[in-house]
Amino acid sequence: MKLYKKEGNIIQILSFPNETVEKGDYLLIEDGDPGKALIVQVIDVQFANIPGILEELLRSLPDGGELMQGEDFDPLEIAPHITYIQDARLLTCKIRATAENESLSPTSSWLPSRSQSTIKKLQIPTLLKLAKIDGKLPIVLGGTKDSMLLTIDASSLDGRLNIITGKKETGKSHLSKLLMLNLVRYGATVVVFDLNGEYISLGMTSDGKRNAYYNKIHVLTPSQNFKAALKQLHLRVLLNILIHALHLPGTSAREFRRIWRSLKERDNLTLHELGEAIRNCRCNHHVRDALFSRYHALVNSGFFTDNVAEAILLEEGLFRAKNEGGAIIINLRNTSSIDRQIVVEYLLGKLVDLLTSWKLKAIFLFAEEAHLYLRETYWDDIVTRMRHFGIFTTFITNQPDTIRQNIYRQADNIFLFNFTNEQDLEVISRASRVDAETVRSIARDLPPHYCLALGKIVKDFPMVAKVKALDVKTMGETRLFFKDMS
Amino acid sequence: MLIEQLTITTTPKYNFPQPTIDASLPQRLIELSIHSLKHVQNQSSQLNQQIFQQDNNLEEQIPTTRIELQPISLKPRPEETVVAAVDTSSIKIGETSKGIVIAVRGASVWKQKRNYRYLRLGPFIFHITEENKKEVYNALQRAYFNSPHEHNRQSSPSLFQMPMRIASLLERWLQVMLSRTVTNGLILFDGSLTSGIAGTPTQRMKEILDNARKKGNVVLAFSKMTSLRFNGYLVTDVLLGYKPPYLFEIAGLKPKPPIVLLGDVYVARLTKGNYAFRLDIDKEVSLDRKIEPVEKLLGNDLFSQSYPETLRLAHIFCTFTANEVIAIQHFIAHKYNLKIINRPDMHRLLFGPFGKGESRS
Repeated sequence: MKLYKKEGNIIQILSFPNETVEKGDYLLIEDGDPGKALIVQVIDVQFANIPGILEELLRSLPDGGELMQGEDFDPLEIAPHITYIQDARLLTCKIRATAENESLSPTSSWLPSRSQSTIKKLQIPTLLKLAKIDGKLPIVLGGTKDSMLLTIDASSLDGRLNIITGKKETGKSHLSKLLMLNLVRYGATVVVFDLNGEYISLGMTSDGKRNAYYNKIHVLTPSQNFKAALKQLHLRVLLNILIHALHLPGTSAREFRRIWRSLKERDNLTLHELGEAIRNCRCNHHVRDALFSRYHALVNSGFFTDNVAEAILLEEGLFRAKNEGGAIIINLRNTSSIDRQIVVEYLLGKLVDLLTSWKLKAIFLFAEEAHLYLRETYWDDIVTRMRHFGIFTTFITNQPDTIRQNIYRQADNIFLFNFTNEQDLEVISRASRVDAETVRSIARDLPPHYCLALGKIVKDFPMVAKVKALDVKTMGETRLFFKDMS
Repeated sequence: MLIEQLTITTTPKYNFPQPTIDASLPQRLIELSIHSLKHVQNQSSQLNQQIFQQDNNLEEQIPTTRIELQPISLKPRPEETVVAAVDTSSIKIGETSKGIVIAVRGASVWKQKRNYRYLRLGPFIFHITEENKKEVYNALQRAYFNSPHEHNRQSSPSLFQMPMRIASLLERWLQVMLSRTVTNGLILFDGSLTSGIAGTPTQRMKEILDNARKKGNVVLAFSKMTSLRFNGYLVTDVLLGYKPPYLFEIAGLKPKPPIVLLGDVYVARLTKGNYAFRLDIDKEVSLDRKIEPVEKLLGNDLFSQSYPETLRLAHIFCTFTANEVIAIQHFIAHKYNLKIINRPDMHRLLFGPFGKGESRS
């Protein structure tokens, strides 16, 4: 390999056919001056612009598009040299850091010698060691293309905002399960908004046996084993549900507040009494009708109960998880859109309460396709306010444009799977920890199950890995009509 | 019950002429190539700034006396006829402190049964110096010409003529091979059938034409460029208002010795468009048989701008592309440890943007 050109923080390297370099690989450009080297990452591989190549190709196909038959008497064996030159590649690389005396700095203010420098592939384990991407809580993300392990530290997810995105069936949920289970393994409390019931069997191996996580996975299904007792509800939480999930107008909300306080004072907070209080409310009949319709929505959701004993599983699960690590899976499958929002409003309110009162230390929240249940105003809340309370969110989506731009800007880690759509890549490239060229170039060519890890987890050295397989019952497979017919 | 027996045959192979190659010249080329390159070891080479393809288009100055203004109309004859063509190319790869590094390649192309096939020889690379040029050239001539008389008449060319002269030798050899192997076909040469000038010894050219005739072939030589003029105009520019394809005969050409015209000279306009070429047809072919081969060529080959495809392909196959020049430089740099350096362009150096480079000077 030979250093060819540098423009800004892009370096172009000439590579020859016997040197196998792929997109995403790291190269070390060692200067003549010992101890100093530039670390660059290949973000694109092109054919080198060799003069005369067009003539060469045209010459080989002159006979109506078919390869012309003939013999070459090439006594000096120049032909291999011709193909060697023809197949020369131009590697477009992004400067990532300068290595000097075994320490890294993100500078690119110097230029190695074009004639004297030597270029070699930098193996991922060496880079991980150099960048100190190791720690006491290793999570093996998967294998690199060179069959090296890519290991991140669980603490790099702590207090961070993470995004897992990629198009359908590329392995997003698989990675989120891997991260989640590893966090549980290290004693973390994890809450998952499971939209499709994919996480409910994580306590089982693929052949249906109990695994090490069996006792740490607590599946809560709204209206079944997950209910909220009216008596335990904070007015603020219920008002959020009414206003944001059920769109109760302000005037009606004020009347509801009055009714609620009145019932609370009389220690008479039951569903029946709430209904009666609304029915007998001396207020404008439009307000009464509005309140009644919302009341019926709450009752019909089946999520609310007067029986406190039915509503203790969430807290129980959270406290157990707090002590020994565990995951609370909120199974939102078969839950209607409005009920989903009610459940999520309730849960987030509850979590904030528990965190504010230091009953919980911190939780890792995994939210799949959050735009389907998270109201607009929560996005900012999650990345700013809730983060300070100790809710560290991981968003998982195949529609990157459903996540607001400011979330990308503040994301600490991005796990990017394959995307071919320019618009999707454009959205992700707005993240502050990502450079647009890397995202556009590498993500487009990622094979299924390969993910590009960006951000603090990899100390801003974007790395590609094939996500490790999990021996768990994932339940994430799409139901197929023709599956048993073939 | 077997209703029909399918006739299954092997994939038809093209019945191209299989020359019984007299390998003495290529063998000598290889030996001399390797021998000359050994002397280049560990030297430094200056990149040639004016990489040019040498074209064997040395045309003699012959006064034109008469042009036959009555065109000879042509009718394509589709009878199956082999069309074969030869061309060679040479290129200067670079300069060393003692001489030049050159590469030579030749190609012959056949067209038979609607298919083209090629044989490409080379590249042969030579390091030519003032010291070895005579040795190289004479050795190649000895391998090619058996007659000591011819040998003695040819003086050793200058250093910068060497690429063309070696290419000419290779071209003659390829022409000999074709004239001996093709039967009842058309053999196309690049250039004219003029002999007696450097690289085209009369005796050898006559032998090639004799061999071709004996095998029932007719040699047609197409010149891309000509300096023959009529009334001050290039003969190929005299496009009269006739519908192509047609020929005009250019008669009365009297070259000065030692130049000998071995062909009758025509202007050929074979397709629509404003392109015409000088066409030399073997003089010894009887008058009534001269037009027929051109008509057979029209019926058997493709034409692009009045130029036969077989000859065009021969030219394409022997021409060096820039990529190949780089590959050859890579080869000599690796095999003979020749260090390639870039010589400053004096025109650019002295005149800046007004210096157009040596190649255009």
